[in-house]
Amino acid sequence: MAARLLSRFSARPELRIVVKPELRGVVNFSAAAPATLSDFDVQHKTPVVRKQHLVPKAHYGGRHAVTMLQGGGIGPECMGYVRDIFKYIGAPIDFEIVHIDPNVDNDEDVKYAITTIKRNGVCLKGNIETKSEAAYVTSRNVALRNELDMYAYVMHCKSFPGVDTRHRDIDIHIVRQNTEGEYAMLEHESVHGVIESMKVVTASNSERVARFAFEFAKKHGRKKVTTIHKANIMKLSDGLFLETSKRIAKEYPDIEHNDMIIDNCCMQLVAKPHQFDVMLMTNLYGSIVSNLVCGLMGGAGLHSGRNYGDHYAVFEPGTRNTGTAIAGKNIANPIAMINASVDMLEHLGHHFHADLIRKSVDKTINVDKIMTPDIGGTASSTDVVKAIIDNIDLYMKNKVSFH
Amino acid sequence: MSLLNRNVCRALMQGSYLVHAHKGVHTTAVKADKNQSSSTEGRIKCTLIPGDGVGPELVYSVQEVFKAANIPVDFESFFFSEVNPTLSAPLEDVVNSIARNKCCIKGILATPDFSHTGELQTLNMKLRNALDLYANVVHVKSLPNVKCRHHDVDCIIIREQTEGEYSALEHESVPGVVECLKIITAAKSERIAKFAFDYAIKMGRKKVTSVHKANIMKLGDGLFLRSCEEISKLYPRLQFEKMIVDNASMQFVSNPNQFDVVVTPNLYGNIVDNLASGLVGGAGVVAGASYSAECAVFEQGARHIFSGAVGKNIANPTAMLLCSANLLAHINLHPYSKMLKNAINKVLTDGKVRTKDLGGQSTTKDFTNAVIHCLHDH
Repeated sequence: MAARLLSRFSARPELRIVVKPELRGVVNFSAAAPATLSDFDVQHKTPVVRKQHLVPKAHYGGRHAVTMLQGGGIGPECMGYVRDIFKYIGAPIDFEIVHIDPNVDNDEDVKYAITTIKRNGVCLKGNIETKSEAAYVTSRNVALRNELDMYAYVMHCKSFPGVDTRHRDIDIHIVRQNTEGEYAMLEHESVHGVIESMKVVTASNSERVARFAFEFAKKHGRKKVTTIHKANIMKLSDGLFLETSKRIAKEYPDIEHNDMIIDNCCMQLVAKPHQFDVMLMTNLYGSIVSNLVCGLMGGAGLHSGRNYGDHYAVFEPGTRNTGTAIAGKNIANPIAMINASVDMLEHLGHHFHADLIRKSVDKTINVDKIMTPDIGGTASSTDVVKAIIDNIDLYMKNKVSFH
Repeated sequence: MSLLNRNVCRALMQGSYLVHAHKGVHTTAVKADKNQSSSTEGRIKCTLIPGDGVGPELVYSVQEVFKAANIPVDFESFFFSEVNPTLSAPLEDVVNSIARNKCCIKGILATPDFSHTGELQTLNMKLRNALDLYANVVHVKSLPNVKCRHHDVDCIIIREQTEGEYSALEHESVPGVVECLKIITAAKSERIAKFAFDYAIKMGRKKVTSVHKANIMKLGDGLFLRSCEEISKLYPRLQFEKMIVDNASMQFVSNPNQFDVVVTPNLYGNIVDNLASGLVGGAGVVAGASYSAECAVFEQGARHIFSGAVGKNIANPTAMLLCSANLLAHINLHPYSKMLKNAINKVLTDGKVRTKDLGGQSTTKDFTNAVIHCLHDH
């Protein structure tokens, strides 16, 4: 028995070359472990900072459990479309749906939602409404990001050729620090009539996000990283962010690094957006720039964003708009949420399903030109989803085998 | 020496699986139009292990039903047996097939009562360990028209099945004294606890009961219990309770309706599985499944080969058919799964066709045909 296995093993010398040494321990864990690890697996196996007690993965019999936070406004309807599509293609995902009541002042639902993300590791979310204006109630979206320590936010802004816009062929990745800076939520009235809001920049978080941006650029074969800042005014805080990114850049000699001041950056973006590749910035600038870039290429309804921490990943529509005004009218653009779900499938390593949906979405918008009114079409949300499902059908019929 | 051999062997085998392990996909067009030629549709491959005893008869019944319902699943069949080692397919072939297909339907494997060769691991255990099938799920549910002492039993028993008493580490330290090592690890205990809670969430259950014997085995079962407690904190909306295994057995036979999801270490799970199966009609009607991170193996809940019935055409195929329905749900063929479950329910509700274990005189074949007949009614 042993001899036979030994000969099998030695007959395949390439085995030892294929498996990267740092992955060997992981892969050897069981026969059922995939030869290539998905981002989800890598993230789960390599916690870097803030040691937390890792709970076992929610991955059973090839299926992943994922938290779904529907959010307010158009969230629930868009999630419905995503579930329809997932059901149609048989994506191996089990959604755990958590409802958050926007009218309740206490944070119990949000806490529960955070707990479910901690145990599932992955979440697909709409934008959660925080109805309360009271000072002691913090934004639920911010609370979620801070509690899960999701320090990096990535948005891939790529033009859809089928959408008529002023600029064509834009392809920018925005990497944004997601947990500190202006969003530190430390505001106080020191004397009557004078309010101070603290912007917090830390070396450790700046380093994490800078490293994330360069690793990201390296992994996706990008050429340039641009740090966006306002270090000419905020010499210490933004200065620290800039210095850190310059220091990290030295470790990546293959990737070009430059920096730009935020006001100039906005002007350059609307005038000559093609000069940008990967953009790295602090929290507030990221919020502004990502909305600006989305506006350049068709609005809030197209692009998806990804929040990454060391252990968790949350996927959402890119510009974080609730869309309350158009909820229930069947005109909301479902593409952003569908793109977020594709990102999620890719993160979990279900590339087949991700590619299938992505191709179908591309064809629906760029070739068939079935679009909602916000990007110049006349179709309703359900029409778009139906067109996407028809295209999925088309791609599936043309393939004999899925393996 | 034999121990060393075994370990070397295992390490090498795990190495050799790497080449074959890759991400499979479970896909299908849900609205599959049955009139279209099947060559353009995505058909799903599934490993099939008929097993020993009445296994092949039951598996044949499943294949008949699948054929009649035109279900887009292709079986990759392996003769795999411990009682007939010369004809058996090599373990690595079977493991590779399951790792590739991600799903398997399996009859029961017979195991000799004691070891003749010094080999302590049974074939079942080898398969589980090779694929890391750590979680066994048995859904004990009262079926319509199956006469039992208890009604409306509906509980899910989840069992860790890769460590504990099944470690296959036994030795005779001095003549007449045999030691068997029961291994409990925090990692595997947490993993099974997480599985149980996640399964409860997925199935919309309310309560998880951890069955243990930590009052006697304070360290081993204590660790298991602590791990369950730790994981339960992540599930504030599920009720968590603990119960000692002897009490749990008593509660099961006197008031089984109090149980919802039960999570246990290896041996207790094995006993509780069988006990609970007995409550709702025996080994012939209870379906189970084993899960690893990547694969799912569907098999009967109570593992009995029923060798007395071999060739007599009297075994009850209900459990195996329910397993196959669960398999269909797992690979996203929900409409087919529902169709099959409805058909089985209808046959049982009608009560005209019953196998011997349910008090009737019908044969396995009769039952299978009745199910096929009901498929077409829908």
